[in-house]
Amino acid sequence: MLVKRNAGTAATRASLARRLNGLSAGTAGLGETVDRRGFLKTSGLAAGGMAALGALPAAMIQKAEAGPTLPNVEIVTRKNVCTHCSVGCTVIAEVQNGVWTGQEPGWESPISQGAHCAKGASVRELTKGERRVKYPMKLVDGQWQRISWDQAIEEIGTKLLEIREQSGPDATFWLGSAKFSNEGAYLFRKLAAFWGTNNVDHQARICHSTTVAGVANTWGYGAMTNSYNDIQNSKALLIIGGNPAEAHPVSLPHMLRGKEHNRAPFIVIDPRFTRTAAHATDYVRIRPGTDIPVTWGILWHIFENGWEDKEYIRQRVYGMDEIRAEVKKWDPATVERVSGVPGEQLHRVAEALAKNRPSTVIWCMGITQKTTGTANVRALSILQLALGNIGVAGGGANIYRGHCNVQGATDFGLDVSTLPSYYGLAEGAWKHFCRVWDVDYDWMKARFGSKELMEAKGIPTTRWFDGVTYEPEEIQQPSPLKAMVVFGHGGNTVTRMPEMLKGLEQLSLLVIADPHPTTFAAFKERRNGTYILPACTQFETDGSRTCSNRSMQWGEKVVEPIFESKDDYTIIYLLARKFGFADEMFKHITVEETRPVPEDILREINRGCLSTGYTGQSPERLKMHMKHQADFDKITMQATSGPLKGEYYGLPWPCWGHPELRHPGCAVLYDTSKHVMEGGGVFRARFGVERNGVSLLADGSYSKGSEIEDGYPEFTMAMLRKLGWDKDLTAEEMRVIQAIGGDKTDEVSWQTDLSMGIIRVALKHGCSPHGNAKARAVAWNLPDPVPLHREPIYSPRPELVKEYPAIEDRRDFRLPQLARSLQFKIADSDIRQRFPFILTSGRLVEYEGGGEETRSNPWLAELQQSMFVEINPKDAERLGIRDGGMVWVYGPEDSAKARMRALVTERIGAGTVFMPFHFSGYWQGNSLRENYPPGTDPIVLGEPANGVTTYGYDPMTFMQETKVTLCRVEPA
Amino acid sequence: MARMKFLCDAERCIECNACVTACKNEHDIPWGINRRRVITLKDGVPGERSISMACMHCNDPPCAAVCPVDCFYQTADGVVLHSKDLCIGCGYCFYACPFGAPQYPQATNFGGRGKMDKCTFCTGGPEADNTMEEYQKYGTNRLAEGKLPLCAEMCSTRALMAGDGDVLADIYKERTVRRGYGSGAWGWSTAYGQNDRGDAFGPGREGTGGS
Amino acid sequence: MHRDDTPKAGKTGLERRSLLKGLGLGAAGAAAAAATLRAAPAEAMESRQEQVKSRYRETEHVKRFYALNRL
Repeated sequence: MLVKRNAGTAATRASLARRLNGLSAGTAGLGETVDRRGFLKTSGLAAGGMAALGALPAAMIQKAEAGPTLPNVEIVTRKNVCTHCSVGCTVIAEVQNGVWTGQEPGWESPISQGAHCAKGASVRELTKGERRVKYPMKLVDGQWQRISWDQAIEEIGTKLLEIREQSGPDATFWLGSAKFSNEGAYLFRKLAAFWGTNNVDHQARICHSTTVAGVANTWGYGAMTNSYNDIQNSKALLIIGGNPAEAHPVSLPHMLRGKEHNRAPFIVIDPRFTRTAAHATDYVRIRPGTDIPVTWGILWHIFENGWEDKEYIRQRVYGMDEIRAEVKKWDPATVERVSGVPGEQLHRVAEALAKNRPSTVIWCMGITQKTTGTANVRALSILQLALGNIGVAGGGANIYRGHCNVQGATDFGLDVSTLPSYYGLAEGAWKHFCRVWDVDYDWMKARFGSKELMEAKGIPTTRWFDGVTYEPEEIQQPSPLKAMVVFGHGGNTVTRMPEMLKGLEQLSLLVIADPHPTTFAAFKERRNGTYILPACTQFETDGSRTCSNRSMQWGEKVVEPIFESKDDYTIIYLLARKFGFADEMFKHITVEETRPVPEDILREINRGCLSTGYTGQSPERLKMHMKHQADFDKITMQATSGPLKGEYYGLPWPCWGHPELRHPGCAVLYDTSKHVMEGGGVFRARFGVERNGVSLLADGSYSKGSEIEDGYPEFTMAMLRKLGWDKDLTAEEMRVIQAIGGDKTDEVSWQTDLSMGIIRVALKHGCSPHGNAKARAVAWNLPDPVPLHREPIYSPRPELVKEYPAIEDRRDFRLPQLARSLQFKIADSDIRQRFPFILTSGRLVEYEGGGEETRSNPWLAELQQSMFVEINPKDAERLGIRDGGMVWVYGPEDSAKARMRALVTERIGAGTVFMPFHFSGYWQGNSLRENYPPGTDPIVLGEPANGVTTYGYDPMTFMQETKVTLCRVEPA
Repeated sequence: MARMKFLCDAERCIECNACVTACKNEHDIPWGINRRRVITLKDGVPGERSISMACMHCNDPPCAAVCPVDCFYQTADGVVLHSKDLCIGCGYCFYACPFGAPQYPQATNFGGRGKMDKCTFCTGGPEADNTMEEYQKYGTNRLAEGKLPLCAEMCSTRALMAGDGDVLADIYKERTVRRGYGSGAWGWSTAYGQNDRGDAFGPGREGTGGS
Repeated sequence: MHRDDTPKAGKTGLERRSLLKGLGLGAAGAAAAAATLRAAPAEAMESRQEQVKSRYRETEHVKRFYALNRL
């Protein structure tokens, strides 16, 4: 019956489309193309989806529970931040009788100005939560049993302690979340430290770990240099490997305003003609995995025409000549041979970027999720350095982070390679945090298997299952992983899922703390030893989150945690209490009953996270910013009136010194046109002062008002003494420095001085505490100091593999990493013949991440009802695949296969297919719906893209390769 | 007197569907009913444009002209509303509407469709403003609260606009002059007439709104 | 296809909206309220004149919206 209705709808849509199409400018003759949603609507799946929701109400609107605003009931307004992407849109919630009944636009937000995308406009549903996990559960012989919180914590804790006893602290893998608040992320990292392991990670590993590694190794910090708003100052935009129209829709108003107001060229480079490309002035289609050839191809024209900023390079960049030598190899003919992009196109791009400065470069996972991810990031950073675009408004490397708090969670060290604030894992870092936490260093050391393990990078989330299934001698820790605790992280987010399932099966304990059961809970492979704890969303607690532009926003609790769910702080506390170290861990954090107070956690962060400038953003200041949003300029993000006048919205880090210093935050990083106390800065001196006789410090470049009118190293007590500025320290500051340094106070640096006196004095003299260096075009400590093109492991061009081989096989992160040997083996085999398509993946606007949360939201699920693969009409015709028909996609490893619909579209070039990565709940053609705990199965299920993705890792971060592999498509 | 209109600027629309879910959220619209949809033309090829479509609240609404029970009425603001108490679910309005706006909650073998539902410009229906009864049948009444339709208020790129038609036309003109070209706002002249402030840079440019 | 088997609040003892229900504004309460209104629709109905009256006002909220669209 519903099919009939939908057919009618579809017919009308077509007629409307025809009517409109014929009248649009410049569309004559091309006729109609397939609409992604029209295609799904006519697929008959709509009927299935509706059946899943039960019969439709007879009257149009039957009052739902917690429906919109109720007349004559008092409305309380609360302000929070969207929990989906990293743009940080303000959410205004209207609450009546403790129930979230209405959502209003947050006009005053300097970032979103009232706007939302489909996800943001639907967040109220999260606290209706019909498909949420409602109470703790455990899996007993394949059946889900409801248990109490007490029983859950008791059993989980006992089991974990038992595993710790038998196999050591490194046998448990702690997977945190970019959905945590900053306070939750920090607490989770602290929990892993107190547990005694560095096996703690989160989603940044699989989205922008290579960005962080790449840009931090270039100019000092791993973050977006400017802001979404600042793009309105750009005279040209290059978007490469990103589709913000779907992934970050509320960045688009800023980008489109830049395009319109400045008549800025809007260039999109991508294998797909994305929804972002639809708004481009220039679109360049590339072969997936050729980002470096294309970037060097652009730079080739810049160097050839002398368009580079020579003075900027002289003053602020190290090693550009070595880049020049590599770029010279990438003449237009070579670039075209490797990437398929004609030279003339890149000449246009280069000219647009060079002649419309400041120009900005925007990238996302098309750049980062590659075996050459870090090198890709570095190449783009170098492009921006060559053009003198870093440290200027309208320029920048505008890296769009993924989740709502992936920047913050990264900053607070949910990462196998560092403690919070990028201090690393060396002894000095541990000693610093032991001082911050007020625990004895030796006690902390004793928590670990050994000092060596304490200072060794852990196993990253991309390969946790290798840490379970590999032979023990292959894994450089005392025991393979036996248990995994997952907070807020989908199970379909990493490549090689058939291998992942084996790891899942072998774990003796799996704990999932999440509002939804996640893919981890839906596989039959596990029958016992899985627990699900209902964690609430960030709308049911309070805390801060850091958006992509480094602004921190404080979210106010909208409603109490629904059903039996608890917030992350509480769950972490309950675990710590069971483990017996809660008193140590929460020594300086107030715990109300069992809930640690987020304000206190942030104050601890403020005390200890000096190196990233997370010290000035006190909870009081952040709350003031939320309250006075209206006072901030909508482009510069600086308050122009009111009590916060002069400050930047959300105090984007670095926000130096104590909150009382009232540092305004830095809207644009490394901006020398401003005084350091007004948000100015310079490149960070992170890599020494000299290399092979060449100075690494800036040459005649410094931020406005600096008393040192040249480059300088990072500040230490020794340097203060040399400058005679140590006299500016107060007695109290000196006391703290002496307490930290003992008889070696000279070595106390701006990063370890908990009095923040060194920072204060540096700023007083107009200097940046982290020194003033050159950015590094050549990063000698990376596997490829000069970014080199390397073909993907599963290269679609085997003939290029010998010319552009992958890196040598190696070991890192406690595991072996295959690269060149595997790549050569594949190139020499018949895999390319058997798997003739390039497979790439990406996002849809309606869903996010692994998608369980968004596919459980009927307002979103209705818009995307089935998993699909995009295939070019030429390929589809050749293979007899019809639009909307079912196909099998086969992967080259582990007999991988996935069944889904075909979307036949010119959006994707011939020879390449594209899959969205938000689906799960089907596996190799079979529904897993029955395996979810009753009532928690997402409305829409589909095959996970990662069911067919393959091996391949970036050497710096073990980022997975999800953007280029091979596959075969056949009609099902 | 201000005349309420919708205007979708296709140069801005990115098909993010915020308008669609904002509508679902505001009125708690069930699965299968789409008061607003985003339609993409030339999907996946250069020239791709999307527009957000709902009831346009036409000057001379064809739905009202064909309704056998005369359930439609137009407010002084130009908003086209209807009475679900009078509606017999015949579906004539669906065939008359150039925008595919009317929606029906059910489809049976005997042709019964249930009471028609459509965009109300967030202005409720014949029941008293902002009462439970009005809300249950038609959703919220934002206009009476001094607000505008939530779809437009939450639009990610400020592509979809709602409000005083003269103000919207001026805003649109400012934008097209700034861009240097104007392709007209789809549906505008169909809904509001060819000569409605249309010029080269205005939303009602000749031949852009259907005829 | 899979049927919706979301546990019913009563069965699981989950009463997070008990406050709302107590006030007669929850799902059941709302339905009851609606029934009452349906029984006396005349009182809830606007007159023909009221129905077509202008509701639009150029409030601060609306001005804010226009201003943002000019950016």
